[in-house]
Amino acid sequence: MRWSVDHSARESLQHQIAGCVRHGMASGELPAGEQLPPAAELATALSVDRNTVLAAYRQLRDEGLLEFRRGRGARVTASAPDLSPVTEAAQALVTVARTHGLGRAELVRLIEELT
Amino acid sequence: MSLAATPGPPRGPAPGPGRYSIYTGRAANWSVILATAAFLVPLLVLGKPSDGSWLDLALPALILAVVVLLFLLTCSSIRTTAGPGGVSVYFGVLGLPRRTYPLERIERAEVIDLRFWYVAGGFWWTPRCTSYTLRSGATLRLVLRGGHTVLVTVPDPRAAVDAVEEARAARG
Repeated sequence: MRWSVDHSARESLQHQIAGCVRHGMASGELPAGEQLPPAAELATALSVDRNTVLAAYRQLRDEGLLEFRRGRGARVTASAPDLSPVTEAAQALVTVARTHGLGRAELVRLIEELT
Repeated sequence: MSLAATPGPPRGPAPGPGRYSIYTGRAANWSVILATAAFLVPLLVLGKPSDGSWLDLALPALILAVVVLLFLLTCSSIRTTAGPGGVSVYFGVLGLPRRTYPLERIERAEVIDLRFWYVAGGFWWTPRCTSYTLRSGATLRLVLRGGHTVLVTVPDPRAAVDAVEEARAARG
């Protein structure tokens, strides 16, 4: 799955990493039971501290989205909320927006106004 | 090696300064684990001496257990990360052995359709090609400077290629 963090952004790296996991779950890239990369490997690839990744994983565990198992790392829980209806609705929204000539920026602005 | 490259446009915005965009993927090697067990267990049973007791099998069984444990620790899966740090391949539970191909060594990254008879079922090396492949189908191929080729099984090779291309574009 894709992970994107911006070291110059105001949002903390921990929250950005947690957001990547949530996005992966919503898009179906991270189904229930899927194992996440070990914190050390992910930290090296993203050029962040290992504790930052661990903090993001712990945050998601506290939210019930991940579970830790000894020797098996962090995995997506079976009880994680099914976000596929949200994904389908978002895809439908993008299609309707394109039909009406709305670009990505306009669509993002519209969602920001509504949320 | 008749392998067809599949071109495709990069996805997502180009990374800016301070932005890290990477791909991670994990491919499990369950087919080889099951095949190994299915092959070794009957051999163990057949190896039992006709006039001996099952205790005579303690040493072979111990060796078998160690082999399976080592296999699980090193070859049960292949994890890959691709991004500004290049492409890293980690084996098994411990992530060892590990191999990293820095961006400056990678001349080209592409997706190919790997034929079944080229699947290594783990790790394989020849002077022209290093293969970390577990299945046929869409596979990540890195062509290194000097012509050496690296094949890696990843769940989404297109995303891995995009991550490499974005990192190279950001580096300039």
